[in-house]
Amino acid sequence: MDLLSNLALGFSVASSFENLFFCLIGVLLGTLIGVLPGIGATATIAMLLPITFQLEPVSSLIMLAGIYYGAQYGGSTTAILINMPGESSSAVTAIDGYQMARKGRAGIALATAAIGSFFAGTVSTFLVAIFAPPLTIIALKFGAAEYFSLMVLGLVMSIALAHGSILKALAMVVLGLLLGMVGTDVYTGTPRFIMGVREFSDGLNFVALAVGVFGIAEILRNLEDEHDREMVTNQVGSLWPRREDFRAMIGPILRGTGIGSILGILPGGGAILAAFASYTLEKKVSKNPKEFGHGAIAGVAGPESANNAGAQTSFIPLLTLGIPANPVMALMIGAMIIQGIVPGPNVATDQPRLFWGIIASMWIGNLMLVVLNLPLIGLWVKLLKVPYYILFPIIMAMCSIGVYSVSSNTFDLYAVAFFGLLGYAMTKLRFEPAPLLLGFVLGPLLEENLRRAMILSRGDPSTFVSRPISLTLLLMSLGVLVLVFLPAIRKSRDEVFIESEG
Amino acid sequence: MSAKPTDTTDAAAGVFLILVAVFFGWQTTGLETGTSLRMGPGYFPMVLSALLLIMGVLVLVKSFKGQGERIGRIAWRGLIFILPAPIFFGLTVRGLGFVPSLFVTTLIASQASVRMKPLPALVLAVLVTVLSTLVFSYALGLPFRRFGPWLPF
Amino acid sequence: MKLNITRRVAMAMALAAGLASAGAAQAEFPDRAITLIIPFAAGGSTDVVGRIVAERMGETLGQQVVVQNVGGAGGSLGAQQVAAADADGYTILMGTVATHALNPLILKQKPYDPVTDFAPVSLLVLVPNVLAVNPELPVNTVQELIDLAKKEPLSFASSGNGTPLHLSGALFNSMAGTDILHIPYKGSGPALTDVLGNQVPIIFDNLPSASGHIKTGKLRALGVTTATRAASFPDIPAIAETLPGYETYTWNALFAPAGTPPEVVAKLAEAAKTAMEDPKVVEQMAGFSATIVASSPEELAEHVKAEMAKWEPVVKEANVSLD
Repeated sequence: MDLLSNLALGFSVASSFENLFFCLIGVLLGTLIGVLPGIGATATIAMLLPITFQLEPVSSLIMLAGIYYGAQYGGSTTAILINMPGESSSAVTAIDGYQMARKGRAGIALATAAIGSFFAGTVSTFLVAIFAPPLTIIALKFGAAEYFSLMVLGLVMSIALAHGSILKALAMVVLGLLLGMVGTDVYTGTPRFIMGVREFSDGLNFVALAVGVFGIAEILRNLEDEHDREMVTNQVGSLWPRREDFRAMIGPILRGTGIGSILGILPGGGAILAAFASYTLEKKVSKNPKEFGHGAIAGVAGPESANNAGAQTSFIPLLTLGIPANPVMALMIGAMIIQGIVPGPNVATDQPRLFWGIIASMWIGNLMLVVLNLPLIGLWVKLLKVPYYILFPIIMAMCSIGVYSVSSNTFDLYAVAFFGLLGYAMTKLRFEPAPLLLGFVLGPLLEENLRRAMILSRGDPSTFVSRPISLTLLLMSLGVLVLVFLPAIRKSRDEVFIESEG
Repeated sequence: MSAKPTDTTDAAAGVFLILVAVFFGWQTTGLETGTSLRMGPGYFPMVLSALLLIMGVLVLVKSFKGQGERIGRIAWRGLIFILPAPIFFGLTVRGLGFVPSLFVTTLIASQASVRMKPLPALVLAVLVTVLSTLVFSYALGLPFRRFGPWLPF
Repeated sequence: MKLNITRRVAMAMALAAGLASAGAAQAEFPDRAITLIIPFAAGGSTDVVGRIVAERMGETLGQQVVVQNVGGAGGSLGAQQVAAADADGYTILMGTVATHALNPLILKQKPYDPVTDFAPVSLLVLVPNVLAVNPELPVNTVQELIDLAKKEPLSFASSGNGTPLHLSGALFNSMAGTDILHIPYKGSGPALTDVLGNQVPIIFDNLPSASGHIKTGKLRALGVTTATRAASFPDIPAIAETLPGYETYTWNALFAPAGTPPEVVAKLAEAAKTAMEDPKVVEQMAGFSATIVASSPEELAEHVKAEMAKWEPVVKEANVSLD
């Protein structure tokens, strides 16, 4: 068995004392830094890159990978505790995770996230090990038309993110798409909506937007009625999920893992969709979808698993093609080059120790994360007991440092303030931020691929239906639309009934 | 349908969307639209602005029936102290340097709550500044100047 | 008591600041850390070259050279920041063909002047670009590609509008008399993916980023863009062998703000030269297909002028301009 001997090689490399140590350092640093609001894995890895020069190539990449999934993990912690997602994927976790925390179920939400992530990490690591080469072939079949159709599917699914008015959620998606257009047009180099600020010519910073519309808006909301009542966040319930919680999370974790593993392979932003897609699915299959947005455990378990599975499988294009799926991967490629390893399809054959060592260390890193974080839950939850008026100046200081550290751009800080204001105005007008964020992430991809597909087909729109994968995705979008709107129509009829009865 | 919107929050929401749509639409006018076969940089934003405008109108129209919560209290004090905090940091981090800039930023933010008394605010700001400087500047080695050129020493 | 606390804080702050800048006037350069601004996101080829050089230069100078990525607007934000920095040699720039030749020609509003706003330090490396095709495209040589392009519509991928790779393609079109359609991407990675998947048949890419795929046969290299063949790939012909006079490459060079004292510039240039002669750096650069130059400040000044003169007609012809 090739696979077994390869995995054995990988584990022997990854479990050397030295590599275990660097893996631990990586996940520890990643978690700590992910927990600080606004500071993501990209900034951390960029900071630590010089240190890795001194290490063995395997050790340095194991450590960087550890930072990456550690930060993903830590980002979910802040999303749950203070509604401050550090990465696009944890924005989904914030929706129901934060509501759980407000209801005194922060411990359970954190435990659910930990368990889901670990399970997803385990499964997807083995998927990477077994299927990396064939999966790469599928990823390469995705051209502009396919990506466009995939993004359409993502947008259609975004409707499920709404727990209020669907119309207003759609309006937020469109606003998000428009905000995503800010910056330089890829095709002509024309700057759009930058208001003369060249610092925005590469687009608005995701972290600034997320911190603003989620975190700062939430701080402001909490400050509204501090005269009247105690903060709800002071209450802390049980830390550990009960039997019925476990039962409620099994299905979502399994489905989330599946979705995340598949979407993570696509280098052009597939992993971003994973958490959103899982949330949609869970809301659809749930017996009481009304619970979503008010602290549904499935709304944490599914997206968290999907997010972590996607984070693992997004290593596939990196390892098999040497093509980065996101900025963190780009940094890891930089690290490989500095170490004298030319990334590309030959890494697996030329450097089997490195290739399989990293894969094995992914699983070990996930194990470390869960062992490390389950006991930490008690500590995190205690944070909520700190009076809010002490907590939020600290949050503001961390956000400021974090956002600035991303690219030393002071305009990102002004954007934080602006989006804080926008986010607060939105909550006051009963708009929800999650669809806006999804639109923002998908917008540039949607436009870029639409236009690229049209250029490549020399202006023939039938390219979207004549290519089988693209057609399938569009049909799926249609199916989701039907699924979403049929019950919505029926439900509104039900509501009319209830009103007339009452 | 009455002459006045019954759901004032949604009415405001509709107006908000319309204003945003008009803003983006106006900003798009300078951009080349192209054709749907060969889209220019203005094509997609134009379509989106139009969509947003339609949605805004729909939300506004719907607000004339139906009921909703009122907008409720607005956190004026929060707005006045929270939003300027990152702006202040952005304006001064290069000039004053990381340490004094962060100190004042934390101090400004802490004033957003009526419960924060001056002395605890000062203690908190000192603690946050010292710890952040140790962690970010010394331990992580972020390339920030601790004290900037605006300071006399 | 309260006064006491403030005074103590003030003293502590003064002490900390004093340590940081003790006797800045009289001490020999450098007496504190130097910031090397890389005007692109971390992880790209300029970043890699910058970090390798920064580390060795720090060893020679006895002070840390801290890398700071200030990405955005095709490198011009970072370059602008260095142009405006204090001319004391403590803030230097990793300039490229983009920041010091293409952007100034392409941008309608010039945020800085590549010649008068900077004190050249040292041209570090030249990096070849490569013209490669998906193996399913039935061409094996540059000439076959030109012939095919004249018969049917083709397109090529690049890392973005106004990048050296886009303009390498534009120069190719203009010299070969072809009209291969340009498809810009956001960076080299996605462009490469689409060529590997045969969504787009042709690519102009940095040789280091494409080399892995060329070695495994996933891409067929038709020619390197340098005037002569690259040492790391002697089998790939130069495009100039078919189109005489064709030459483009990416380069990386250190710049200080204009007005930096010549002795400081000289010291930086010396440290850069020492760094580039380090056997480990030589090996890393060879693996990267980069040619080491490590020039003097004067040579770099000449180089910038020559590059601007070379690209001006190409930029005009390709009709690229950005606001």
